[in-house]
Amino acid sequence: MGFVRAFLRNPGGVIGLVLLVAVVVVAIFAPLLVPVDPWEMVGAPFEPPLSPDLPLGSDTMGRDIAAGLAHGARVSLAIGLASTLAALLIGVAIGATAGWFGGVVDAVLMRIAELFQTIPGFILAVLLVATLGPSLAHEILAIAAISWPPLARLTRGEFLRLKNRDFVRAAACQGERPAALVLRHILPNALAPIIVTGSLTVATAILIESALSFLGLGDPNLMSWGYMVGAARTVIRQAWWTSVFPGAAILVTVLAINLVGEALNDALNPRLARRSGA
Amino acid sequence: MRTMAALAAWIARTLAVILVIASVNFALVHAAPGDPAQVIAGQSGASDETLLRQLRAEYGLDKPYPVQLATYLGRVLRLDLGYSYRQQRPVLGLVLERLPATLLLTGTAFALALGSGILLGTLSGVRAGRWSDTLIGLVALVLYAMPVFWLGLMLVLVFSVQLEWLPAFGYRSVGATLSPLGQVGDVLAHLILPVLSLAAVYLAVYARLMRSSIVEVAAQDFVKTARAKGLTRGRVIRDHMIRNAILPVVTVAGMQAGALVGGSVVVETVFAWPGLGRLVFEALSQRDYPVLLGIFLVMSVLVIVINMLTDLLSRLIDPRIDASAKAA
Amino acid sequence: MNRRDFAKLVLAAGAAGPIPFGITRAAGQTRGGVLTTVIQPEPPILVSALNQQAPTLTVCGKIYESLLTYDFDLTPKPGMAQSWERSPDGLTYTFKLFPGITFHDGSPMTSEDVVFSVTKALMEAHARARGTFSRLASAEAPDPLTVVFKLKEPFAPFLHAFDATTAPIISKALYENTDLRQNPNNARAIGTGPFKLKEWVKGSHIHLVRHEGYYRNGEPYLDEIYYRVIPDAASRAVALESGTIQLTQWNDVEAFDVPRLKALPNLDMTTKGYEFYAPHLWLEMNTRIAPMNDRRFRQAVLYAIDREALRKRVFFGLGKVATGPVSSKTRFYEPDVKTYEYAPAKAAALLDEMGLKPGAGGKRVSLKYLVPPYGELWQRVAEYVRQSLGKVGIDIVLEGIDVGGWAARCGNWEFEISAPWTYQYGDPALGVSRSYISTNIRKGILFSNTSGYSNPEVDRLFEEAAVARDDATRQALYSRVQKILVEDAAVAWLTELDFPTFTDKRIKDLVVTGSGVNDTFARAYRA
Repeated sequence: MGFVRAFLRNPGGVIGLVLLVAVVVVAIFAPLLVPVDPWEMVGAPFEPPLSPDLPLGSDTMGRDIAAGLAHGARVSLAIGLASTLAALLIGVAIGATAGWFGGVVDAVLMRIAELFQTIPGFILAVLLVATLGPSLAHEILAIAAISWPPLARLTRGEFLRLKNRDFVRAAACQGERPAALVLRHILPNALAPIIVTGSLTVATAILIESALSFLGLGDPNLMSWGYMVGAARTVIRQAWWTSVFPGAAILVTVLAINLVGEALNDALNPRLARRSGA
Repeated sequence: MRTMAALAAWIARTLAVILVIASVNFALVHAAPGDPAQVIAGQSGASDETLLRQLRAEYGLDKPYPVQLATYLGRVLRLDLGYSYRQQRPVLGLVLERLPATLLLTGTAFALALGSGILLGTLSGVRAGRWSDTLIGLVALVLYAMPVFWLGLMLVLVFSVQLEWLPAFGYRSVGATLSPLGQVGDVLAHLILPVLSLAAVYLAVYARLMRSSIVEVAAQDFVKTARAKGLTRGRVIRDHMIRNAILPVVTVAGMQAGALVGGSVVVETVFAWPGLGRLVFEALSQRDYPVLLGIFLVMSVLVIVINMLTDLLSRLIDPRIDASAKAA
Repeated sequence: MNRRDFAKLVLAAGAAGPIPFGITRAAGQTRGGVLTTVIQPEPPILVSALNQQAPTLTVCGKIYESLLTYDFDLTPKPGMAQSWERSPDGLTYTFKLFPGITFHDGSPMTSEDVVFSVTKALMEAHARARGTFSRLASAEAPDPLTVVFKLKEPFAPFLHAFDATTAPIISKALYENTDLRQNPNNARAIGTGPFKLKEWVKGSHIHLVRHEGYYRNGEPYLDEIYYRVIPDAASRAVALESGTIQLTQWNDVEAFDVPRLKALPNLDMTTKGYEFYAPHLWLEMNTRIAPMNDRRFRQAVLYAIDREALRKRVFFGLGKVATGPVSSKTRFYEPDVKTYEYAPAKAAALLDEMGLKPGAGGKRVSLKYLVPPYGELWQRVAEYVRQSLGKVGIDIVLEGIDVGGWAARCGNWEFEISAPWTYQYGDPALGVSRSYISTNIRKGILFSNTSGYSNPEVDRLFEEAAVARDDATRQALYSRVQKILVEDAAVAWLTELDFPTFTDKRIKDLVVTGSGVNDTFARAYRA
């Protein structure tokens, strides 16, 4: 309860939460709020905002931008969540293994993580998607492939910290098996920073997904915000609204997630000075 | 002695990284369906078996993968990055031709982000709680959440399309004949918007990091001692606080080098900047394997170099730092 | 030569047109000036005998010439050959070359070079040329200005195989008995065209200058041509508007920019000059996969797409709706074929008849559409098609892919629907039949008959028409085959693509043949 109060005392957190809830609501109720198929060519091309039936204007094929925004929310959020989940699975598994076993296993796994952090991650993602083919599954895979190292590092750090704590040792002495130790004692205590980093990872995932779609590497059947900005790049002179609105949507969503994530962090770790995630 | 050993270790590590990256690249890119012979043949407007066979033999595409990989790795070590099918020239030449543009972009962006980030972060930190701190914090927050490509497009919209102050695309003006000084100015004018787009996110990161670093340092004893000794605020900040606060920022900057270099792909695409990032994209659609492998390798080396530079910078700032103490 | 030969010559030469000496000195052409244009993407090499990628052909059209060129209605006109005749049995073609033709290095071009180029160089390196010239029984050079080709059997389109993109002539002395691709002369780009290569700064520009020894007196009028490399479409449009470049061609300019640029006072736009290529866009359906093996399905697809609206919305009014396999710009086009007007109701009826009833969400069947990765335009076409077919219950799922993958999957028949476009090269035997005849169903080869459509009647008609000797017979055969193909809806023809060529108003006589911007520019001048 103290935690919730601490969170609510943070103005950034509250604003972020409100924005985030708004985005999620739009995403969930998109078909009700904007009952227009975002792919349907409902109007003439390049209609400006505030045209009849086209509150945010139309794009190069005459499609409703507002519909694209609403339905795009589902795509961007879904991909952000899915890839973060995948990254968490990979990262936590690797980090836990490294932290638990230590020694050679730890050294090898951390070298691998270091390698992934040395190479230009976005380029690896681009290579992965372009090689395997632009589809939803491959996008999620690519984003997860470059997002797991910080999560692994964090998990490892937490495991190292908690492994030798008294309550864990006590449980070990009582004969609890390693699996139980990990699942019942260590993980629950490591959860807080993992969740915070995880939520910030969702924001990064959304940014990476939009960049991939912008470059034309997104799934061609999904209207995402990044795709909309990408399609708008060449017509920026005649139709500024086709790139401004979708990009603003990305900005607001990522900002909201960042605010919430940081407020969570402050509420859970009041003593630690705020550090921005790497 | 220590430096020689450290240098040797660095070289060995770099070499190992390069070979691993090269092998991974190779496996990745060859895992996909389709082959380059078809690309070249198809683009001639006609294709037939004779041509395909000729092309495959010419580019060694008919040998088994392990042989191709071993040959590739061997050549990489001799700085031979292969031959581009599409562009019909050696990859090394192609990469070296585009490298300066990317170096200019990423180098300037890195320096700008770090420099202004430290400046703004210090400003913010010493005036913690005041409106200037809040303002800088808000700006940083927004910049941090911005998609790089969108920021680029917005800058183009405002400064090129609306105000017509700066050029929208490219490296220099087409067709203009300028004096050498004019040429430099021309390139600089084209450089402004791409650099701003690329630097913005990292500027935000470094500013916020510097701020919290400064706040932490300000609370420490030696600063209080310095103030008690009667030193002016300015001198305290300059001589004591910054030196100590800067370290984590530089360290993080090094760790983010990969992201910065990777971000050049998007920025170069938006601004049609003729660098390696843009080449990645061009080579991708052509399935130009050697070029892709070459660029990825070179960019990884670039990141390693940046890491080394930030490492050196860290040591300069605080000679007590031992490289191995840079923990996870 | 005696009277009889001369008469034969005149008869056979037909619409050869006036001999160019002196005719080009008509009033108004001022000599001099520089033409700056763009080339996108940058060609890999400037020897069109070895590389036939689109940008290579555009630039090389100024550097190399062939025996003939073709008018807008595809009538052959003199290139380096001043006259030609065909024997009555259709097996022997005799070309008489203009005297005084020199290569850019000063050496004279003779019939030996023609024979070498056609029988050795092109046969080895030019796949499309090989298709035609493998029909040769022999090629001889009885004197330096005469070339005699003998075919194994008559091939009416033979005369349409001599444009600079199909049969560029290169120097025997420089290329005989060498490895063509590694020949050091490739960098010098030695041809006989009106412009020669002065400098090529990779990534920046290609600089051509007048070939002073050009055989046509007075030509070329322009002093120099610059091909600048500007990879970004928006930059090219800006350069055109500001006058930095005076010419754009093919898809240098995006379709949505065309209406705006057309309205500018300093620019002229034409869609002429692509008749020889007549690019043709269609939806290809893999007939090996149900339900696309049923012609009712393919007909339904044609009825379900409003092709006129597609033309307006995606191509911004450029181009023409394609009525069948042969473009209206190509020879022997037959307009009187079955019409597939926009009628979704008819499409639905056909699908119902086939037993494809709408299921959940109105979907009757789901098919994958492989989007050609050559730019945003084809993505827009795909999106339009998906919406159109979705309305009659055909659920289209788009697949993105890269160039190599697309070529491989189409060539290997690993696709359901795709949207290729090909050039027709003036004659159905050269550019059309390859997509529909059974003998060209060859796995692994792109631009062969990848849909798998096979009809013995169609095969027979195309074969006969290729070897028939007079145009009337050929027209009758081609009309028949077009009617059958359209009735069968072998593929779903969408658009005859038009490309806008923008020129500065002060540039005249640039597009004067059916090859347009790929031609020599010898007659172009700055007013």
